[in-house]
Amino acid sequence: MYKYIIRRILIFIPMLFALTIIVFALLKAAPGDPFSQILDPDIEAGVLDEQRAAAGFNDPIHVQYINWLTSAVKGDFGDSFRYKGREVTEVIMDRIPNTVYLGLFSLLITIIVAIPIGIYSARHPYSLFDYAATGFGFFGLAVPNFFFGLVIIYLFAIQLGWFPSQGSISSTSLTGMELFTDRIHHLILPGLTLGLASTASYMRYMRSEVLNVLSSDYIRTARAKGMSERNILYKHTLRNAMIPIITLFGFEIGSLLAGAIITEGVFNYPGLGTLFLSSIGNRDYPVIMAIAFLLGLFILVGNLIADILYSIVDPRIRYD
Amino acid sequence: MENNYIPVADPGTSQIAPEEKSRTPFQLALGRFLKNKMAVASVFILFIIVSAVMAAPLLTDQDPTKSNLLLVEQSPSAEHPLGTDSSGRDNFARLLYGGRISLIVGFSAMVFTLAIGVVLGAIAGYYGKLVDAFIMRFADMILILPFLVLVLVIVAILNKVTIGIFVTIIALTSWPGLTRIVRGTFLSLREQEFVLGAKAIGATDLRIIFKHFIPNAIGPIVVNATLMMASYIIVESALSFIGFGIPQPTPTWGNMISEAQSIRILQNNPEAWIPPGLAILVTVLCINFIGDGLRDALDPKSLER
Amino acid sequence: MKKRKSWLSLLAIVFLLGMLAACSDGNKETTNDPDDGNNDPVTSEPKSGGTVVGAMDTAPTGQFNPIFYQEAYEANILGLTHDSLLSQNDELEFEPHLAKEWKFSEDFSSVTFTLRDDVKWHDGQPFTANDVVFTYKTIADPEYVAAGGVRSSYVSKLVGAEEYTSGETDEFPGVVADDDYTVTFHFKEPNVMALADASFTIIPEHIFKDIPVADMPSAAASLQPNEVIGTGPFKFTEMVEGERYVLTKNPDYFLGEPYLDSVEWRVVNQDLILQLLESGEIDFVADPNGFQAADYDTVANMEHVKIIEQNDFGYQLLGFIQNYRTPEDIEAGVLEPENWVPNERLKDPKVRQAIAYAINRQALIGTKAGEGLLHGRGQIINAPIATQFPAYDGENPNQYEFSQEQANALLDEAGYKDVTGDGLREDPEGNEWVLKLAYPLGNKLREDSAPIIVEMLAEVGVSVDLQQPLEMAAYVPELTNTQDWDLYLLGWTLGSGDPDPSGLWGSKDAYNFGRWYNPEADQLLVDAVTPPDAFDPEFRNQVYSDWQVMFQEDLPALILYAQNKLYAYNERMQGVVPAVTGFINDPQLWWVQD
Repeated sequence: MYKYIIRRILIFIPMLFALTIIVFALLKAAPGDPFSQILDPDIEAGVLDEQRAAAGFNDPIHVQYINWLTSAVKGDFGDSFRYKGREVTEVIMDRIPNTVYLGLFSLLITIIVAIPIGIYSARHPYSLFDYAATGFGFFGLAVPNFFFGLVIIYLFAIQLGWFPSQGSISSTSLTGMELFTDRIHHLILPGLTLGLASTASYMRYMRSEVLNVLSSDYIRTARAKGMSERNILYKHTLRNAMIPIITLFGFEIGSLLAGAIITEGVFNYPGLGTLFLSSIGNRDYPVIMAIAFLLGLFILVGNLIADILYSIVDPRIRYD
Repeated sequence: MENNYIPVADPGTSQIAPEEKSRTPFQLALGRFLKNKMAVASVFILFIIVSAVMAAPLLTDQDPTKSNLLLVEQSPSAEHPLGTDSSGRDNFARLLYGGRISLIVGFSAMVFTLAIGVVLGAIAGYYGKLVDAFIMRFADMILILPFLVLVLVIVAILNKVTIGIFVTIIALTSWPGLTRIVRGTFLSLREQEFVLGAKAIGATDLRIIFKHFIPNAIGPIVVNATLMMASYIIVESALSFIGFGIPQPTPTWGNMISEAQSIRILQNNPEAWIPPGLAILVTVLCINFIGDGLRDALDPKSLER
Repeated sequence: MKKRKSWLSLLAIVFLLGMLAACSDGNKETTNDPDDGNNDPVTSEPKSGGTVVGAMDTAPTGQFNPIFYQEAYEANILGLTHDSLLSQNDELEFEPHLAKEWKFSEDFSSVTFTLRDDVKWHDGQPFTANDVVFTYKTIADPEYVAAGGVRSSYVSKLVGAEEYTSGETDEFPGVVADDDYTVTFHFKEPNVMALADASFTIIPEHIFKDIPVADMPSAAASLQPNEVIGTGPFKFTEMVEGERYVLTKNPDYFLGEPYLDSVEWRVVNQDLILQLLESGEIDFVADPNGFQAADYDTVANMEHVKIIEQNDFGYQLLGFIQNYRTPEDIEAGVLEPENWVPNERLKDPKVRQAIAYAINRQALIGTKAGEGLLHGRGQIINAPIATQFPAYDGENPNQYEFSQEQANALLDEAGYKDVTGDGLREDPEGNEWVLKLAYPLGNKLREDSAPIIVEMLAEVGVSVDLQQPLEMAAYVPELTNTQDWDLYLLGWTLGSGDPDPSGLWGSKDAYNFGRWYNPEADQLLVDAVTPPDAFDPEFRNQVYSDWQVMFQEDLPALILYAQNKLYAYNERMQGVVPAVTGFINDPQLWWVQD
């Protein structure tokens, strides 16, 4: 097992390496650079070219990449072009906590909602509740999340005024419990939006997995032996039904971050997603590189965790 | 074995009721599908939607790309049953013609992804070992590549983003999921006796793949294909929302909703955004129900549901 | 103090989100209650206390050093915290601010300012002439540009700036402190724009003097609340990065203690600004984007909200690419009009004029709600000079009143006729004639206008191939080096300091994207700033008028529209009197009535 994990982690290195090369090459292939959208007749001719030269843009591309790489391995991702005077790591670190809160919160919503409903639906298939849940599940997968976000802002933030529609906290002067509840208050709408699709899909997975297991021979045997339904559910069914669900969680990390780009945009939530999108528009190379690297790392680690968890829940699976 | 955890139909354990034995597998599946009321209703509704967008010129004589600056953001009228957009174009015509684009994008991206995903998955799953490792690492690579950077670069390099290019971008970035599924199925089939038997009597690789593997993997492939198509319709709308979609004046359901992002339109002109929103919702719902029906129909185990 | 911060609108980060606008009839204030009158009779005396909340649709990047920041969002904050020597009034004349008075030398090559002696920095240190010298010296520093600064045009006309910037000397004779409260600017030659050049925002010497220029942008004094020190009516005291920026009053402000306790900026999604305005969560929305023209009626119907509609210093244009640079020139990075290759498809001025006649600009703007892209909230202008300047000539340049007959006649005359019978014209040789129209992303109205322009031109038989819209960062280099585009869309925000259009429209200007080359026009732009004649305003205006006539004749671009600036604020806010240059004007006089 440890060997397996170490081997997997070793594979990360060339993959991340390749990722940075590809992203770097793509960025350089795209027309424009961090200075090209600065259009200001007040800026004297040559000033921007001087800044390009100072940024090393005139060097051959492989030299630029190697320069980036040598500082990156030392943990220095350089300075942002748009956030002038600020280091990329600092700009990103400002945003990471927010995105992590949002991601965790939406995962929490997903787990709290999807798993119990999925199980209940599976145990009472074709009941009214099951139909309602299935209907919701289909709806959740079919509605574009920016659209859902705008609608719930309209309903819950503007019409009813229950939740703030913008931002991540309302004041810097809050501390302790107040700060915590304020954050949660701000997380509810974006969390629901981000979590909608995954809640729907987990619910459906959960229902079908539990159904699958419930209809399998060994459960029938257990029933025939007179085992209680409660025992059947907890001892056999859930354990087996959780397997595919858990693996999904690992993959979810990647799609959460992708979804966060749009959700954060709708709610003006200052996280990595909005930073990524605006950095692309501004060609803020150092920031894009760092976020792309980070995303890649998250996804790889997520997949690895999924695989490890998988082997823990399902003892039949052995990695060597 | 890593990454081999996608649940797939296991053909070895199919339980076919005796009285159905005289019918072909296709007939059996069709029979099961027809029993699923939601799926059948969905086929019917989807048929209506597809017919409506195909017959768009018969249903409206408005030009979906023709602006009218004297009638901007108008409420519904006899001439414009769904009002007009911010350039005075007829929303009803845009809904119909936009459906063409959205459905074509969804469908062709699905076909394209299917082609890449199945071929690579089949190769990886059938040959295993080095080929497999290579393809799967490549798939992992694509999975960690930021989709937006790719879209950005391709859009920025080209002077025109046609539907074909848009579809290609989607397909080139989303095949790995399907490849994993096909590969998983193939890997499990590889060790089955009937395959070893076929190999023993000298069947070619191609013959084994097409005669034995694909038919056995068809269930998950078809089901995933429908789900992909549904999600691509949403992807199109999401890309429009963040400004990377198919540009105006070409209508798509996605850019129709994005046009109506502002709360003013959300509030004052529901006829502008509810129809395309509902159109996406209903179409995606129908496709998902059909996918569900197909899953049940193609996977005999799920009969007992 | 009136109408300050001319330099704020010098920011031409134009297009990012730029809703560019201008209108020719000055300040119009609209209220929902007609009895309220124009100037909102104040029912009670101003009282102290309270907070107002302003909305911005994009977060500032966080660089709060006036000599390094570049975006209009920071300007919203710096406009409250910092000052410059002079401000501008509604006629765009310069008025005393940090400087009490000034005197030109006889030959107009230097100007001496007497500074107020009662101004203190936020940390209590006195403001002196040394701060002025330090500010300009820093901009001229050899390290300044490499550190990311772009304001070097403010020093380039000063004596000795070149030598100082190149590192030849440590002396900087361009700006000299004669004593603590007297400072003299020495220009290389008589300078028509001396006052505009001297109006840059001043930074504190005692804070920055020990920080190398290269490290200034990353210094706490450039980034952090409470560390950013200015002389303005409000201090920058609290920040939630990307969300909230709180400014607390400076009780020692030299124009009097502000009534408000604090001003808070909140970053709010553009789509939600109106709702928050209606619910009272935000009190005002102003620069740089205001609210959208299409929302005018909605805002006008909010009982407690007032609208201010006024000119903006900018316009949107349809550019004609008359010449292409050669690939060799692009490679070498030179702009040499002699080498340019004419664009055969557009080189006939009649064709450009025909296109100008074929575009119904009034229809793009509309005349009322529900019409046009601007719902009537914009103006047609016929020259690339802001209408607020006396130099703008609204009469003599060709007005290009919409006329398809004129357009058809001109095209027929030029030999562009439809010989294939497909409704689209061919060129005089009978070959296919298709114009490529390119446009950037980033301004919804401009994006919407592109396909409409294609339709308008099709009606007179001009075939246009609409290109993929590009992000601004990609668009600008493509536009700079294009070898096959014919038409382009772009917008400019102009500075309020001086009407001089050079920089955009001189033939050797990089931003002359259409590569318009007319030596006569170039000469007029030079004449307009050449002393001694240029010190005569009438002479100057006449030269600009001649230039504008020439511009409309040659048509390097058709100015499509100037969009009105639309500000809205909650009527609990009192004392709001926006300047022509922007909403923030005498904020120390703002107060709230609850």
